[in-house]
Amino acid sequence: MKIGAGVGSGLGRRAVLAGAGGLAAAAAVGFPSIVRAQSKSLKVGVYGGYFKDSFDKHIFPEFTKATGIAVEAVAEPTGEAWLIQLEQAARAKQAPADVSMMSQVAMLKGMAAELWAPLDPARLPNATKVKPALINKYPDGRLSGVGAVSWYITLVTNTKSYPQAPESWATLWDPANKDKLGLLALVSNSFLLDVTAATFFGGSKHLDSEQGQLDCFKKLAELKKNVKLWYRDEAQFEAALKSGEIPMGQYYHDVTGLAAADGHPVRSTFPKEGGILDSGSWAVSKASKAGDLAHVFIDYMCQPQIQALLSRKVGTSPTIDRSATDLTDKEFAAVSSDLTPIVPRYDLYVSKADWLNQKWTEMIVG
Amino acid sequence: MIRRAPRSLGEHAPILFPALMLVVFFVIPFGLMIAVSVARRIPGGFYEPDLVLANYERFLSAFFGGVLSFSLELAALVAVVAVGIGFPFTYRLARLPRAAQVRWLVFLLSILSLSEVIIGFAWSTLLSRTAGITNLLVAVGLMAEPQSLSPSFGALLAGMVYQAFPYTVLVLYPALARLDPALVEASRTLGASPVKAFFTVVVPSQRNTIVATLIMAFVFALGCYLLPQLLGRPQHWTLSVLITDQAIYQSNMPFAAAMAVFLVLVSLALVGLSLLFGRKEEA
Amino acid sequence: MSALVLDGLTKRYGGFTAVHGASLRIPHGQFVCLLGPSGCGKTTLLRMIAGLEEPSGGQLLIDDRDITATPAHKRDFGMVFQSLALFPHLSAGENIAYPLRIRGVPADERRRKADSLLELVRLPGMADRPVSRLSGGQRQRVAIARALALEPKLFLLDEPLSALDAKLREAMQIELKQLQRRLGITTIVVTHDQREAMTMADLVVVMSEGRIRQAAPPMEVYRRPADAFVADFIGMTNLLEGEVTAPGRASVPGGELVLDGLPPHGRALLSVRPEEVLLHPATASGGQGSGQGAVANRLAGTLSFVRDLGASVEFRIDVSGREIVALTRPQDRPAVEPGAAVIVEIPAEACVVLPPEGGTAGERPS
Repeated sequence: MKIGAGVGSGLGRRAVLAGAGGLAAAAAVGFPSIVRAQSKSLKVGVYGGYFKDSFDKHIFPEFTKATGIAVEAVAEPTGEAWLIQLEQAARAKQAPADVSMMSQVAMLKGMAAELWAPLDPARLPNATKVKPALINKYPDGRLSGVGAVSWYITLVTNTKSYPQAPESWATLWDPANKDKLGLLALVSNSFLLDVTAATFFGGSKHLDSEQGQLDCFKKLAELKKNVKLWYRDEAQFEAALKSGEIPMGQYYHDVTGLAAADGHPVRSTFPKEGGILDSGSWAVSKASKAGDLAHVFIDYMCQPQIQALLSRKVGTSPTIDRSATDLTDKEFAAVSSDLTPIVPRYDLYVSKADWLNQKWTEMIVG
Repeated sequence: MIRRAPRSLGEHAPILFPALMLVVFFVIPFGLMIAVSVARRIPGGFYEPDLVLANYERFLSAFFGGVLSFSLELAALVAVVAVGIGFPFTYRLARLPRAAQVRWLVFLLSILSLSEVIIGFAWSTLLSRTAGITNLLVAVGLMAEPQSLSPSFGALLAGMVYQAFPYTVLVLYPALARLDPALVEASRTLGASPVKAFFTVVVPSQRNTIVATLIMAFVFALGCYLLPQLLGRPQHWTLSVLITDQAIYQSNMPFAAAMAVFLVLVSLALVGLSLLFGRKEEA
Repeated sequence: MSALVLDGLTKRYGGFTAVHGASLRIPHGQFVCLLGPSGCGKTTLLRMIAGLEEPSGGQLLIDDRDITATPAHKRDFGMVFQSLALFPHLSAGENIAYPLRIRGVPADERRRKADSLLELVRLPGMADRPVSRLSGGQRQRVAIARALALEPKLFLLDEPLSALDAKLREAMQIELKQLQRRLGITTIVVTHDQREAMTMADLVVVMSEGRIRQAAPPMEVYRRPADAFVADFIGMTNLLEGEVTAPGRASVPGGELVLDGLPPHGRALLSVRPEEVLLHPATASGGQGSGQGAVANRLAGTLSFVRDLGASVEFRIDVSGREIVALTRPQDRPAVEPGAAVIVEIPAEACVVLPPEGGTAGERPS
């Protein structure tokens, strides 16, 4: 589920299976980890629900066919529960999954705890093509994670209510849009601080200082009266956007495109400041004994044809430059954009999590 | 009847099981929650066992005070409205022919099977501008153009009352079904109109049932955390919503636990107060 | 003279008729008992008078004023319910003062009135007692006091004493009767206990299957039952079936009866109270023995059973296969033992000629 890739998670359709997956994962903890090198099987953690279903159907069988390595997919629960499970299992020298798809905030937290086994770039030739923004490194330069999937959150509108596509995130602040917006409810999954910094303060550098963060909060407070719904539940906003009840907001680019293709009067627009690029990374638990196979898997996933397959079948944006892929313009536009994206300041959402959350809640509730 | 205090294990047996259940399902979880609430939060991580009051200190602010008092007021209002509608409804229901009663009760039980999510969605659609009831009002000419009634305080109240309503009816039903119909007839023959009989006999004679139902609906409404998100605006988010945020989205278990402990204590205190008040009235 | 008049009051529930056209005139100050087996319609009739059931037909008049459509709370009738229906949330005094409160009588006056009513029902000083802490008899008295608080035109009681034990019930019957005399209030009591009716009533109204069978003073109902049902229901009786053989003569099993009031021809149904039946030993020298053949009003039989009831002795005699019951005072006990041949004497004046079974019954012309 996509929100799960941020710090938070919602309750949308992609999350339905996540709870059950969490149980299964919890049950896996504590079993003696068999040396799987000989049996050539790999446990891969993927966000439960939509992502796991898609990977099971389109990706993992291809991987097994190509490498002979069997994949045991593990559904990751929502939120940071998976990180906690991995941490606790690692202390007992167990790995509920060898490779896991982790949100950027969870990546950073895992790095703080030295949870991730350093990866060897020499054994990941395809990873050199991955965009630098999607590569995770320890402070000392060791490679801790490689971009797995990425996607865009963009400015979405109902075409009946807005015959003209908006051009800038600034339209969210337009007094004409009073009571028209649906925005994500949490500071750590809406990334609206990053959007505000990019739109009004010249970029995310402005968030470096506390004063800069307060500037953004102050600016954000101005759009409050335009917001009809601060949503945690994707499906609620999606339904309202389609019906025109809430005709504007932020939402997933690919899902909106699919809805439009189904004939719903909705559109996704990349504002001139860029779409919000969120992503998940592959990381290997230090307790895993299948490091070799994990390298094979990660390298396989970085190949251009696999990234193209992901774009076509799962709806994610390629983690590598589009020119390396065989995606057509139309296929590429369905999942991504050439505009410079707004990459969230995940470091802030880790280091100042409580403070930002408190300020945010006071801002929207107060 | 054993008049002396029970001595052997066998004599204690009848209360052993409920006592055990209470310990297993309430005392232990609540104890764990208290333990977590004084744990030390590791920013960016999890928490470590400790004995710090920082989580409670953070809670003791005007902001959380406001959220807490709103939550309590909202729950109280939901309880009053649900019982205010549910009591006369159940009174009438208990006087219907048996077959009609069964139909109603089955219908109400089926509402119980609806999850908070479904109720929230149904009401937000019902109160929407594009597909809601205002379209009906426009169609019959009572309104100039359809309006959006959700999210709003009214929508939230409607959704929560709707959710609490079947519970209040099911709690009130046994008592009202047992109510001697002669009580009302007696008051009629003594000069009370049906409405007066309802308020001077039915309501006061069911005072304890009403208080118990109010408390049940209040506690029930206090635990609501999805409807405020689906039907309310941010200023209508209850403490339960913020607890959920902290526990699930911020991974701040100690703070979530501190808020939860506080909420449980405040609601226990309120319930205790209302019972005490009720007992004094009776004496 | 003021009176309560029931004119053809009828109550139907769907296809079932609970009360068939009940007509009755109750003069002011009378104590009336509606008597009959359970399900005879007596309670329904009382509830129609109280205004708690809407008649399906007929009229109800009080002092020539039609009150058929007057709601219960505007009739000013006091009623005592079978369950007593004391308000559990009020004390004894508050229960009694309830109708005064409804009418807005000031508190101190209510209190004074409640105290004097408690005095009247001999419960002085009980005003503050919660009803849950009253004994059965005390609750009874409170219910009566409450029904009398408004000095009603009509005092209605539905099986008021049925919950009391036998001794207390008898005492209450007498007390109730005395109270009614003292107040001179028109009173209607529903009961299934004929002793209770005989004890209290000025007018006994016997009902069966929704119809009034007879309405008459207790002794008349006993001595001159209007039909076989009344004769059988009130006390014990011997029902004799006979054939009119000549004017004033009827043959019955075991002999012939000579009496007045017989129909000119056909079958006759006679009721004879056991205490009116005379019993003689059948001795050859008796002069009037069976040997002499058919002497009028004397039937030959065999004593089958004797039992001593203390105040009386009961004899059961087999007369041509029919059982006749006779009661005598112990001092008048004839010297006969079971198995002996006896003569049963039925005095002409002891016979009540009843309409044939299934014939219509109504108020008996006196």
